[in-house]
Amino acid sequence: MSAWFDFAIEHLPYVLLGVPTTLGLWVSAMTIGAMLGLVLAWARIYGNRPIYVIATIYVEIFRGTPMLVQMFFIYLGLPEIGIVFDPLTAAVIAIGLNTAAYQAEYLRGAVRSVPMGQMTAARALGMGKFQGFVNIILPQALRRVIPQWSNEAILELKYTSIAYAIGVTEITARAEKIGYETFQFFEVFLLIAAIYVVMTSIVAQLLLLLEKKVSVPGL
Amino acid sequence: MLLRVENIHKSYGAAEILKGVSFDMAPGQSKVIMGPSGTGKSTLLRCINHLTPPDKGRIFVDGEELTAKNLNTMRQKVAFVFQDFNLFTHLRTVENVAIGPRKLRGFGKKAALDLAYKELERVGLSDRADAYPAELSGGQQQRASIARALAMEPKLILFDEPTSALDPELTGEVVSVMNKLASEGMTMLVVSHEIGFARKAADEIIFMEGGKIIEQGPPSQIFNAPQQDRTRAFLNVIEHGDDA
Repeated sequence: MSAWFDFAIEHLPYVLLGVPTTLGLWVSAMTIGAMLGLVLAWARIYGNRPIYVIATIYVEIFRGTPMLVQMFFIYLGLPEIGIVFDPLTAAVIAIGLNTAAYQAEYLRGAVRSVPMGQMTAARALGMGKFQGFVNIILPQALRRVIPQWSNEAILELKYTSIAYAIGVTEITARAEKIGYETFQFFEVFLLIAAIYVVMTSIVAQLLLLLEKKVSVPGL
Repeated sequence: MLLRVENIHKSYGAAEILKGVSFDMAPGQSKVIMGPSGTGKSTLLRCINHLTPPDKGRIFVDGEELTAKNLNTMRQKVAFVFQDFNLFTHLRTVENVAIGPRKLRGFGKKAALDLAYKELERVGLSDRADAYPAELSGGQQQRASIARALAMEPKLILFDEPTSALDPELTGEVVSVMNKLASEGMTMLVVSHEIGFARKAADEIIFMEGGKIIEQGPPSQIFNAPQQDRTRAFLNVIEHGDDA
């Protein structure tokens, strides 16, 4: 055990240098996912037929294919038609587009769970559909979606590791490199696992705090 | 006329709910719509502010016709109080009342809150301003929703069975607020079987059956000398609570 600690302390700085990449990738992708997810959820609930169909096809494609395939497609496939991204950008786009599909579905469920009467009351006051959505439905739906959204956020934090496959030097990539240099794969991946657990636990606690802070009786 | 309801028709599929309803209301009047359930009273009320758009017929408020285009501005003149309150769950009581002025009437935050506190005082809820709807009793929720309607400073308030979701001991506090508003000159159109309000505050009772108005007149006439057998039979039931 103490041997592992010595190993961990020796290699920790190199691995930790990947943490900003991992977190940056995660925050960017989650942000893209939240914004696009909101638009998709709106389209799936309130959109007219063509808009609904487009949003539905999007969700089905991005939920129905592996994220790694999507990432390879964006990083390795798109250059063939002249669209080239650096690895980190490709990873942000791939994870962002993928999580958008899931976030849209969670949000759609949360919006649907807000009683109909809330929108009716907003419309009766004189609000338009969009005003009612922004002022009345969304604040309630966002509160209701936090538990599911937290799951998604934690899942995606771990999924940033697949960016390693297209050459992003986030923490998993760095761990693998140490592994091949030292041949101490057991030690290094134990170290990496510990770092992921620390990050996800902090994120989980922060989101739990947020959930408590914005909670309202009866919601 | 403040409100003109002209030949309103509404069908759901093959079922014709409203078969041509017309009446007028002058400013300051209170009218109560009564009649057996399933007779189109609530549908009529919802047609007036197009929560349920009528198939045929026209609605005029203050001489202006309500259409799909001016819906949102016209609804600010015609407030609606729901049977099940529909307060905004995520907002405190005072915010529920302030949100209309704030978002729709161009009030600043402070002015909207000031108005909201004033309207809450009118319905006797000042002490519950900071509570969330889930923390209020049914009667308090309905009074808050009346305050929300008042904060729009509407020309007319539509009440859709405002006491029927309440326990009997809570209806009194809502009815007394409604009586007070009527005496202050608020124009009110109320779907309700609340005899207390109808007798005391209504200028006219509209009795509906089968999607039509079959009788209307001042409460003294409707309650004491109804012209129609159906009206008499119905009033017997609601006044005595049996099948007489």
